[in-house]
Amino acid sequence: MKATDVFSYALSAIKLRKLRAGLTTLGVIIGIAAIVALLSLGQGFQNSITQQFEKGFATDTLIVSPRSFGIGAAASNPLFVNDIQNLTQIENVTMAMPVILRPSYVNATGRTYLVQVTGVDFAEYGNTYNSTFVAGEGTIPYSDPPNNTVIIGARIHDPGQNGTILVDLDDNLEVTWTNYTVAGGIPVAQNKTYVGDVSAVLNEVGGFSFGGPSDLGIYVPLSQAEGFFGTDQCDLIIVQLTNSDNATITGVSDAIRSYYGGQVTVTSPSAVLDIISGIFSSVELFLGGIAGISLLVAGIGIMNIMIVSLMERTREIGILKALGMKSRTVLTIFLSEALIVGLLGGVIGIGLGWGLANIVARSGFLNMGRQVGGANQAGFGGGLTINPVLSPTLLAGALAFGLLVSVVFGLYPAWRASKLKPVEALRYE
Amino acid sequence: MTAVVEAINLKKTYMLGKVSVNALRGINLKVESGDFLAVLGPSGSGKSTLLNLIGALDKPTEGEMIIEGTDVSGLNDNQLADLRRRVGFVFQFFNLIPRFTAIQNVELSMSIAGMNKAERRKRAEDLLEVVGLKERMNHKPAELSGGEQQRVAIARALANDPRFLLMDEPTGNIDSKTANEVMGLIKKINDDKAVTIIMVTHDQRLAGQAKRTVQMFDGLIVQDVVN
Repeated sequence: MKATDVFSYALSAIKLRKLRAGLTTLGVIIGIAAIVALLSLGQGFQNSITQQFEKGFATDTLIVSPRSFGIGAAASNPLFVNDIQNLTQIENVTMAMPVILRPSYVNATGRTYLVQVTGVDFAEYGNTYNSTFVAGEGTIPYSDPPNNTVIIGARIHDPGQNGTILVDLDDNLEVTWTNYTVAGGIPVAQNKTYVGDVSAVLNEVGGFSFGGPSDLGIYVPLSQAEGFFGTDQCDLIIVQLTNSDNATITGVSDAIRSYYGGQVTVTSPSAVLDIISGIFSSVELFLGGIAGISLLVAGIGIMNIMIVSLMERTREIGILKALGMKSRTVLTIFLSEALIVGLLGGVIGIGLGWGLANIVARSGFLNMGRQVGGANQAGFGGGLTINPVLSPTLLAGALAFGLLVSVVFGLYPAWRASKLKPVEALRYE
Repeated sequence: MTAVVEAINLKKTYMLGKVSVNALRGINLKVESGDFLAVLGPSGSGKSTLLNLIGALDKPTEGEMIIEGTDVSGLNDNQLADLRRRVGFVFQFFNLIPRFTAIQNVELSMSIAGMNKAERRKRAEDLLEVVGLKERMNHKPAELSGGEQQRVAIARALANDPRFLLMDEPTGNIDSKTANEVMGLIKKINDDKAVTIIMVTHDQRLAGQAKRTVQMFDGLIVQDVVN
C-alpha cells in the first residue's frame, strides 16, 4: 500500500469520529501549549534578567561589602575609603573604588521619594561602567566635579517613563537623609538636607544593577558624600581586575577576604550571573516537567481512545487483512492516526502556547515591581519587560515531543491491531 | 486443467474456550481452474473453516493446503497476506467498510495491492458497471440494499484479478429474488471471465446451479458430484 494511501486511510478513520478525535487532539494541544507558553516565557524572563544584569554588571569586577548590614552598621563595617590604597596593591587589581550608599529622601513636586544616594568617584565609576554611567542629558563632570553636582538615574528624571518629568536637568534637588551619631553609647538620629544641582541624567539602564549604575540612583561626588554623611567609611568597594578569568576572580577574592580578616563578603558579578542562570535553568526544567506531565496525560488519552477504536474496528481490520493487507500496514495505519493527532495537536498547541505567552507578557501580569509606595511616600518601579522567546530548539522540541508521545502511546494499540488474526477479527461482532 | 486448489488430508482443530473442536478431520479436495464448486453442508460441518483455509486466512493444523502450487503451512504472515491479494472474498454479511462509498470500497483492495489512484479508479468504475451499479457508485453501504451491497462486494473481490473467488453464503443475507440476480452474476463471472469459484452454502437449490457440488458433514467430505 502506498504511503499516501495509508495516510488518507488513517485520515478517513479520524474524520469519521470528529468529536472524539477533536477531544483527543485537545489533550495534546493543551500539553504542547503549556510547554511552549511556560518555556518561552521562562526563556524570555531569563533573557530579560540576564540582559539587565549584564548591563548593570562589569564581569571583571569584584564587589566587596561588609559581612552584615544593619542600622548603625558603622560599628561592624570594616570598609574604609582609604582601604583602596592597600587593595590596589593586590596582584591583578588595577583599581579599587569606594562607594558610599545612603537611603535618602528627595522632595519633588510636593511629594517625598525614597531613593539611594551613591557617593562615587565619577571618573573611576564611569571608567568601570562605561556603558551605563553615561549621560543621556547634560554632561557628567568626570574630573573635578563641582561640590554640589548631582547625577540622577533615568527613573528619577521620568518615573513613569511617560514624559512626566519629576526632576529635570539643572533643577535644584533637595536630598534629606538621616545621620546617626553615637552619643554616650546611644545612636542619635539627626536629619540633614542638601541641595544639589542636577548636572546630568543617565541613560536608562534597565531593571537591575549590581554595584553598577541604577535608574533609581542619585550620584554625588565621593568627597561630598564623605562630607555630608560625616563618614570615612564606605558601603561597597568595587575592585577592578585585570581580567575576568576564574583564577583571577578566586585569587583576588581570597586576598581581599584575608585582608579584612573574613569580615567582608566578596561577590563576583559573573559568579552571581552564573548562579542566576543556573536557578533559571532549574526553574525552566521544573516548569517544563509540569507541562510535560500534562502531555503524558494526553498521551494516555490517545492510547485509551485508540484501544476503544481498535475494538470498534476489529471487523474492519479483519476485512483489510482478508483483502491482503499486511500486518505492518495495519500497524502503520494506526500509528499514522496517532501521528496525525500528535501533529495537529503539536502545531495548534505551539500556536496557542505562543499566543498565550505573548498575551501574558503583554498583560504585564509578570512585570516586576511596578509601583511600590505608601500614602505620602511614592516609590519607583523597576520595570522589566519580558519578551517570550520561541527558539528553534523549543519549536522543534515541542513538536517532536508531541509526536513522540502520540506515537509511543499509539504503539501498543497499533501493535494489537496488527496482531489480530483475520479469521477471529472477521467473526468479531 | 490444472488444480488451483488442492487439499491433502487437511485437518483443522481450534479451541472454543477450553474445548477443542475438530472442524476439519481430513479433507482431500482438488479444484481445477475455471470450476464452479458449491460446498454444501449443515452448520458446523466445517465448510467455512475450509473456505478460510483456502483463502489463506488461517493455517491448517495438519495436512497440506496447496494454493497454486504453494503449501500455505510454510508461509509467514506477509506471504499469506500476499497470497490473499490473489484471492477474492465474498462474505455473507458483505463486509464493506461503512464509511467508504461503493467505489471507494472497490478501490480499497486495489489500493492495498499498491495500484495508483487513477488506474484503480478507472478499474473500479468498470467493475461496478459489470455488476450493474455504476450509477450508484457514490453511495455508502448504508444507502444500498443487501443485493446491491453484495454486488459491490463481488466487484471488490474481482478487483485484483483473482485466480479464484471464495464465497461464504453470498446470498444468505438477501431476499430470494435478489439472490437469483446475484447468482446469475456469479455464474456470468464464472463463464465470461473463467474465474474459479468456490461457494459455501447450505441451500441445496443454489448448490444445484454450480458445476460441481461437494457435500460436507462433521468435518469430512461425504459426497462429491459433478452436476
